[in-house]
Amino acid sequence: MKLYCLSGHPTLPCNVLKFKSTTIMLDCGLDTTSVLNFLPLPLVHSPRLSKLPGWVSKDGSANLEKELKECAGRVFVDSQPEFCLPERELLDLSTIDVILISNYHCMMALPYITEHTGFTGTVYATEPTLTIGRLFMEELVNFMERVPKAQSATCWKNKEMQRMLPGPLKDVVDVWAWKRSYSIQEVNSALSKVQLVGYSQKVELFGAVQVSPLSSGYSLGSSNWIIQSHHEKVSYVSGSSLLTTHPQPMDQSSLKNSDVLILTGLTQMPTANPDGMLGEFCSNLAMTIRAGGNVLVPCYSSGVIYDLLECLYQFIDSANLGTTPFYFISPVANSSLEFSQIFAEWLCHNKQSKVYLPEPPFPHAELIQTNKLKHYPSIHGDFSSEFRQPCVVFTGHPSLRFGDVVHFMELWGKSSINTIIFTEPDFSYLDALAPYQPLAMKCVYCPIDTRLNFHQVSKLLKEVQPLHVVCPEQYTQPPLTQSHRSDLMLELQPPPMPYRRCSVLNLPHRRRYERIYILPELANSLVPSEIKPGVSLATVSAVLHSKDNKHTLQSVPKPPPVAPSKKRKRVLEEPPAVLAPKTLLSGAVPLEAFLATLQKHGFTEVKVEETADGHILHLQAEDTLIQLEEDGTHIVCDNNEPLRTTLRDLVLRFLQKL
Amino acid sequence: MDRECALLLPGVCAVLAGSGSSLPDDTSLEKLLDWFTGITEAGGSLLEACPCLLKLISTVVHNAASDPGVLSFALRLTGLLAATEESFKTIQEHSVLNEVFNLQHWQEAGLWEDPCLRIGWIQGLRSMLQHPKALSFFVQSEFIDPLLQLQTDTSLFIAAAANQMLAHILLFFQSVPPGVDKKEKGDGMTPSSADYTAVVKSISGYLQESLVPKESKNVRQSLQTLKLLALLLAQAGPPLRDKLLQTVGDSLEELVAAGSSELTLPLMDVILSACSSSGTDERITRLLSSMLNINKPADLIHAAAAFLRRGHHDTVHTARAVRILLLPLDIMTGQTLLGSISTADEHQFSVVEQLKSKSSCISMICVCLSNTPQITLTPPDVLPCLPVSIVTAVLSLLKICSGSSPSSSTGCSEVSRNVIGSGKVQKCALEALGTLTSSPGAKERISEVFTVLIQYLENPDSDPTVLHKSYQALLKWTSVCTDFSFITDQLRHDLVEVVKKRVCDMRWEVKDSTVEFLGHLAGVCDSIKAAAEGRDASEALLGACSTTPLLREALQDSESYVRASAISALAKTLTHRWQQGATLTEEEPEIVSRLLEILSQDSEGFPRRAVVQYFISWYSSHSPPSSSSSSSSSLLMQSVRSVLSQGRADLDWEVKVHTLVLAELLLDEAFSGHPGYKKGSDSHHASPHAYGVVSEQAYTLHTHTATHTEGAESDLAVVVEQGVVSVLLSGLVDCDRPVALKACRLLITLRETVCPLSLGALDASAAMATVSCELPGCGWGREIIKILKMKKSDQAKEEDIADQRGLNGAEEGGDGVCVSVCEALRSLGLDERMEVLTQSSDHIHNSPLSLLQDILTASATHTKPGEEVIVDCY
Repeated sequence: MKLYCLSGHPTLPCNVLKFKSTTIMLDCGLDTTSVLNFLPLPLVHSPRLSKLPGWVSKDGSANLEKELKECAGRVFVDSQPEFCLPERELLDLSTIDVILISNYHCMMALPYITEHTGFTGTVYATEPTLTIGRLFMEELVNFMERVPKAQSATCWKNKEMQRMLPGPLKDVVDVWAWKRSYSIQEVNSALSKVQLVGYSQKVELFGAVQVSPLSSGYSLGSSNWIIQSHHEKVSYVSGSSLLTTHPQPMDQSSLKNSDVLILTGLTQMPTANPDGMLGEFCSNLAMTIRAGGNVLVPCYSSGVIYDLLECLYQFIDSANLGTTPFYFISPVANSSLEFSQIFAEWLCHNKQSKVYLPEPPFPHAELIQTNKLKHYPSIHGDFSSEFRQPCVVFTGHPSLRFGDVVHFMELWGKSSINTIIFTEPDFSYLDALAPYQPLAMKCVYCPIDTRLNFHQVSKLLKEVQPLHVVCPEQYTQPPLTQSHRSDLMLELQPPPMPYRRCSVLNLPHRRRYERIYILPELANSLVPSEIKPGVSLATVSAVLHSKDNKHTLQSVPKPPPVAPSKKRKRVLEEPPAVLAPKTLLSGAVPLEAFLATLQKHGFTEVKVEETADGHILHLQAEDTLIQLEEDGTHIVCDNNEPLRTTLRDLVLRFLQKL
Repeated sequence: MDRECALLLPGVCAVLAGSGSSLPDDTSLEKLLDWFTGITEAGGSLLEACPCLLKLISTVVHNAASDPGVLSFALRLTGLLAATEESFKTIQEHSVLNEVFNLQHWQEAGLWEDPCLRIGWIQGLRSMLQHPKALSFFVQSEFIDPLLQLQTDTSLFIAAAANQMLAHILLFFQSVPPGVDKKEKGDGMTPSSADYTAVVKSISGYLQESLVPKESKNVRQSLQTLKLLALLLAQAGPPLRDKLLQTVGDSLEELVAAGSSELTLPLMDVILSACSSSGTDERITRLLSSMLNINKPADLIHAAAAFLRRGHHDTVHTARAVRILLLPLDIMTGQTLLGSISTADEHQFSVVEQLKSKSSCISMICVCLSNTPQITLTPPDVLPCLPVSIVTAVLSLLKICSGSSPSSSTGCSEVSRNVIGSGKVQKCALEALGTLTSSPGAKERISEVFTVLIQYLENPDSDPTVLHKSYQALLKWTSVCTDFSFITDQLRHDLVEVVKKRVCDMRWEVKDSTVEFLGHLAGVCDSIKAAAEGRDASEALLGACSTTPLLREALQDSESYVRASAISALAKTLTHRWQQGATLTEEEPEIVSRLLEILSQDSEGFPRRAVVQYFISWYSSHSPPSSSSSSSSSLLMQSVRSVLSQGRADLDWEVKVHTLVLAELLLDEAFSGHPGYKKGSDSHHASPHAYGVVSEQAYTLHTHTATHTEGAESDLAVVVEQGVVSVLLSGLVDCDRPVALKACRLLITLRETVCPLSLGALDASAAMATVSCELPGCGWGREIIKILKMKKSDQAKEEDIADQRGLNGAEEGGDGVCVSVCEALRSLGLDERMEVLTQSSDHIHNSPLSLLQDILTASATHTKPGEEVIVDCY
């Protein structure tokens, strides 16, 4: 059993598990933090961005004026943003049989894996994962394609060049693996390979293993996976949550008794409690609006935003924000809000029961109805005519590098009465804001990450008790910035196996058993004999037949009746006659009784010596040794065959024969 | 006992003797007993007054079918009757005593199983044992053993009562050592020394035996015995105390050595009681030392805390206790509180081990924290470190708790992680920090304290109660601060930002504490002025940020508590301006109109009460209208008029009482110059009781001889015009007693000022009679008119002067009626009303007569089935 680790990002994993004869990819997350090194893509021409000076090294030896721009002391690549793909050299992606997707955040690299790599397998995901994943991909493509950037900078990636660059560009690795966004055709083609599954549905892979998704409680349709054969069980835990938010609660009990548990997708903000952050979000929002400012919330178009809207739904009245408009701007805003209402079966119990009333499960329906929340595909069109300030705007992308958020940053950044509130934990807010410096706008960082924290995961692991745990290396030590917090790491016995990008782990689990079927007629012919109460043995002579990873014992075909022939040659060609099986011995030789028997047969001078595995009996008069061990008995005597036979028969008296 | 009761009592006795099942409710017997006790304590002899009681007792005791409740009553009554030597003799002559307390009889009858009877037995004996004869009876009847057995009764009440009783016997009779007082008290009063010695002997024998638990299940007995011992040692005189200590000394030593966790605290109690009474007994000192050296860290900490709480001035042991309590803090924070010579390593090691378990860590640290304020106040030679280091340690602990700082001592991350995010420890530490302000040298750390507290306020994960405690601590430290120069711009900015954020919090509790904090801060600034700069605390802490806009915003809050807190905080914030007579700010009229809106429209009582109080504090702190702030005064007077008319009609009785307080202030101002006016008839007690119980403050009738002055007339007219008289009159007929009472008092004061009865009705100045007020034709107005008419007709009948002038001075016009104020004040029968109102509403139902009647009625209905009796239950 082997695990190939193609991504080093703990919450955007991409691992490949080779198990029995299958090759299974677990998630294909796309690390988008690379875009922070790029300049933002403005929706409308930005004089500020276009006037940024080009970068020239101090000694003038490196001149990348065209590709790199300097802003507030940092250097950015002036090119269409690129993403850091999962490792593609570690193993041949065409050999992958299936891809299991755990949630829509962890599938954004899918087109890079399934297209142009020779991939011919199947992708398994739940329906909401596919639907919302598609929205995310379409949004990404839309963000990139509506503001085409002619330039594609590559010179800076040159190793010699890169060495001269200032940090953090100097330190980024694998820049050649960075790729531009995919096209909508590639998205469609990749998603056409997805096969839908429901929670606890069992999918057979080539008869060798069975995979099954379990609810993970993190987002709509999010799942953990169980991969099991008859005798082994591997659990794959990705983004999971025990908090009561909108999705169905996490199924923990099905993870019990795993041989190996692959643990990824823990919270990225172990010190930020989601409840506290939600409170922080609301109070900062209210504070800004009361002071007459606008609030900008860079966010993804699905997920936490539903909870934010639900929380605001309750909060706006108590905080007297009833008249403040809330805008949600995204090319997929409408679809996201509507889809959330129709996936009733994937929602938590509370929301499910609303559907029977019938009421929309999420209260944002009411916000839309009462015109408190308005959604637009982009800032162009209707939005510009209805836009009213002060207001709250939810829009993407959280990296602040593309999407409508870029426009609002340019619009509101100069005034200190406005506030930007970061709620997505994926990007460092300081890095995200870097190309907008100097910034007068107030910044509030309240990342809401509902995934499992270390306290919850240790409790979970105590409960499900896997034999081995594999996890990203980041989880095995406290966070770099809080090295004193020994409570923010995994402490297990045996210690978890850490992995990093490009690791290949030999999972410690050794396969010891395989299920073999026996045909009825063959079973019928067996003659079991009881060797101890409740245990019977029988010897089997059969032909092992293996097909589609199923093994069957079939009766040995009887030799065809020998045709009367005089040709000797033919006789030789016949299969050799089946030899009668040797009798098998079982049991142990009891020392005391054996010594008594020896005595009875005239062997009086016996010296017994204890060894690590049993005993050595030295028959001094005969100069013969008898080694009694757990799995064998040896009689060592010098060319005295009668003596050996006698001794052998004495030993055999104590053993059972089959 | 009055005649009526004495007449009813035999009947009641008959009912009780018959069967107790027909009692009106289960408290009747208790009430009856209370009444009897009252009579006895007042010096009356029950036996003489009602001989039927004795008969009742003997009937009940002999009736096998008696209800256990009635039996228990009979036992206790017997004790009560036999409490004096004289009546004891009488009862004994009737040979009742032996029967009543005959234990064997009760056991054979199977009644002893009933806890009711057992407690009756104990309490009966307890009330009887007030004289030597009773003790002799007690000893001769051999009651001591059964009583000792009851000490471990299954019922906790009985066990406790038995303990009390045992202590009573030893302590009550100890003051009469044999042979000393014989002459003074006479032979009869002295217990036979043999009796007392016998009792002391058996009890001390028992103590010695039962102190050390033989098996683990006997721990309860030890526990009880220790409690008894603590009771005894706390009050015993030298001979008894020495005897006791001598008896139990060995057992105590054994117990200390055994070190049972369950017994640590009671044992400590005993030792400390012994310590405080016996002074420097070597053995006790040794025991105390051993207690402060037991090797279970959790028990040790509790023992040390118990020692410190007692406030002994024993340097050696105090030093030891202080070290014990500081050790966990030292380990956790890495602050060297104990100096370089630390406690024995082994002990430290076991403390660390104990701290590694989360639950015991939290409880130990909390005990240590709650004792830190006291530790810092111990003499410097006892402290192993400077008091300020303890403040520093608490601050470090707070930082560790919020996860923001590592534990500085190496290898203790396993310990410190137990307290990260623990709300309990945070609250304890914040509370300790708040009390540490008075520690010597604490002010050195003030800047750090503020930084930590602001961090706590900022922390998104802080629990509402933690935030509340942080605010409280901040206020305490602010109030001791005289120099605000340590407050940097950054600190000020942080505080302003966090306060602005917290008033927008999602949780109303947090908003409430924040708003409250702003109010208190303004209050603190009144008492303290930063010496050099002349700035107040609020300004020093919050800089130019005015809190008023924040508070105004909070007036709109959806939670009524927050609105109420915002209103009182606004009042506190503005008090200073009012006192200075500052001119009206732009926002004040807006605030006032919003407040009046709340008073008239808010559905919750709290904000409305707060509004009236806001105007009370404005009115009482505003400077006289002559000053420059005429705009402020006119706004105040204008709004006071609305407050009076709205507050009068409010549904909430507290709002109405507050409105009356405001009316009283107006009266005070109007008539303060008049010699007849007694200011503040009860204004100093004006704060109403939370549950509407008005203290039985004796009403003093204002008698005065001076004639009222001329100015009174115009003042009265002003008061009427302001609506004060309407408030008082409507209050008088209010259905809420506290409101009516207050109104009545004020009306009487007014009457005494403007038209005192002593001058005679006819002498009333004609001018005064012209001041009239209008009564509405409905509601309270109609009630008042009704009273006036009734009085009038009564008067007419008596004096036979019919048809004088219609209703005096009243001109019926439209719906309303105009009445002369003076006439009304005289004719309302205020004094009679006052009398009725000052009696509590259940005074009739609580009288013994009513109780006896109830019992009789209940039994009567009981014998006549079909008729239901409805008993008023209060």
